[in-house]
Amino acid sequence: MTPLLFLVLLFGSVPIALVLALTALWYIYDSGNLVLYDSYAQQIFSGVENYGLLAIPLFILTGELMNEGGMTGRLVHAARVFVGGFRGGLAYINLLANMFMAAIIGSAASQIAVMSRAMVPAMTKEGYDPGFSAATTAAGGLLAPVIPPSMLFVIYGVLAQLPIGDLFIAGIIPGLILAGTFFVVVALIGLAKDFPKGEWMTLREASVALRNALPAFLIPIAIVGGILFGIATPTESAAVASLIAFAVGWLFYREITPRDLGQLFVRTATNSSLVIFMIAAANVFGWVVVYEELPQKLAAFISTVTSDPFTFLLIVNLCLLFVGMLIDGIAALILITPILLPIAMNTYNIDPFQFGVVISLNLVLGLLTPPVGVGLYIASAMSGVRPFTIFAALWPFLLAVTVVLVLLSYFPILSTALI
Amino acid sequence: MLYRASHFWARVEIFFAAALAASVTGLILLNVITRATGNAIYWVDEAAIYAMVWMTFLAASAAIHFRSAISVTILNEMLPASGRHWINRFVDLTIFVFACLMVWICLRWFMPLQLMEAGWDVKAFQGQTFNFIYAEPTNTIGLKKVWIWLVMPLFTLGALLHSGANLAYPGKTSQVEAV
Repeated sequence: MTPLLFLVLLFGSVPIALVLALTALWYIYDSGNLVLYDSYAQQIFSGVENYGLLAIPLFILTGELMNEGGMTGRLVHAARVFVGGFRGGLAYINLLANMFMAAIIGSAASQIAVMSRAMVPAMTKEGYDPGFSAATTAAGGLLAPVIPPSMLFVIYGVLAQLPIGDLFIAGIIPGLILAGTFFVVVALIGLAKDFPKGEWMTLREASVALRNALPAFLIPIAIVGGILFGIATPTESAAVASLIAFAVGWLFYREITPRDLGQLFVRTATNSSLVIFMIAAANVFGWVVVYEELPQKLAAFISTVTSDPFTFLLIVNLCLLFVGMLIDGIAALILITPILLPIAMNTYNIDPFQFGVVISLNLVLGLLTPPVGVGLYIASAMSGVRPFTIFAALWPFLLAVTVVLVLLSYFPILSTALI
Repeated sequence: MLYRASHFWARVEIFFAAALAASVTGLILLNVITRATGNAIYWVDEAAIYAMVWMTFLAASAAIHFRSAISVTILNEMLPASGRHWINRFVDLTIFVFACLMVWICLRWFMPLQLMEAGWDVKAFQGQTFNFIYAEPTNTIGLKKVWIWLVMPLFTLGALLHSGANLAYPGKTSQVEAV
């Protein structure tokens, strides 16, 4: 009965947090362990009483401040300095700017929103196919949750009880590989299609562009540097990054004022609460998972199919691709981690950092696949290109991500080398 | 009237949630600064966590009013308008049932009636019920934890108000706006 109720509520459009909370309530009733009702509310509360989660509102705030503070345009301009002169320059600029942005923003959906508005009209104007423009931008958004900081890693770290700073560092190499693969994809598409010619900047223009973007580069340096050198926790570096983002947007670029902060904090509170509340509800749902011994039962089943960690990861990848198509990435991560991580670690001896990187990248791919591809719809809404047209141009990128996923699954060292 | 009350309360919740988001940022920055200068303040981390928890539950209650929580809408999008109407009614009803259950859960946890019967004497109450909710301290900020836990009944009442209003006024949605 419990799984049935879960599915009815989930597909009946009930908010996911309440699906989890209500399923747990029903499960307690069903199991007859009614004394659990006494600590139910306390359990929900304690699910979010966690230092690591403080990073979520802070990273959301940094993203908001950056969008409003005029950094996007300047980062795109700085990317032009490095790759603008190649044939198809703007496509490479798009990817490079997405890399810069990924080091500041932690969420793929918000990055796709910002970059689609900034890049797709510019690319279409220079003669690129609109579908390809939107697809490149949407694919670039996939870098956000892999290159630190990453909201998915914060959530995974909290659920898996791993140091979030180390998880961020684990994402660096996979992020660079993913970005490199996207550059290759764009180059290959360029061989088939004739991209518009790019133009190199003069030395003077280049130095102005770099100087303008320099303050914005302080943010990724503060975040990654702070964590890498152990000066600050991810939470603290997120707070420092938001302070820098505000100071740069206010004092250097003069595009935000302290008066705008009220509205930004409203958006920060509402957006981060959507995520954190789901984690709270997942904490009581965890009871169902633990008492029903779901991981053990699933492990017993899967281990009859294979004993090889790589094959296990491939099966997980296939299942998650399907899950990601139906459920929002963060929600899916919250649902999946408590069930699959114990199996991965105990039965297959898979490194939890590798597992985190693989499932995070996998689930975020769901952002771009119909029918619940939120990223696809965001890119479409922001760029005015039809979702189907974007998806049709997106498949080379999706194929590239799949290859990277297989690589990351096969070589744990790619995720664990820097830790 | 009910919807207006719900809208007003959602705005109040969002206002305080935003203020708490600001205080989370401020507290963590204070922590960075004081630690860098060698004068770390011990209660800042815990205060920041509680500010975040309060922010979360206040904004989560308001999200019911604004119908903005994340859900799987695949079925909803495939159905014709009439089907969509019924599924939205189902969601409103489910959230209302959840809010009612939360009232019961909070009553079981806080036991206000039993506390009253014990003459507001916490020790006598604890002796009778073995419920130590009113005695538990916070780690560093010097408050009883029950003050922090009060956000749960507050969330519950907000959820009850918003879901009741949504149930009474189907199809009405408002946008989060500046407060």
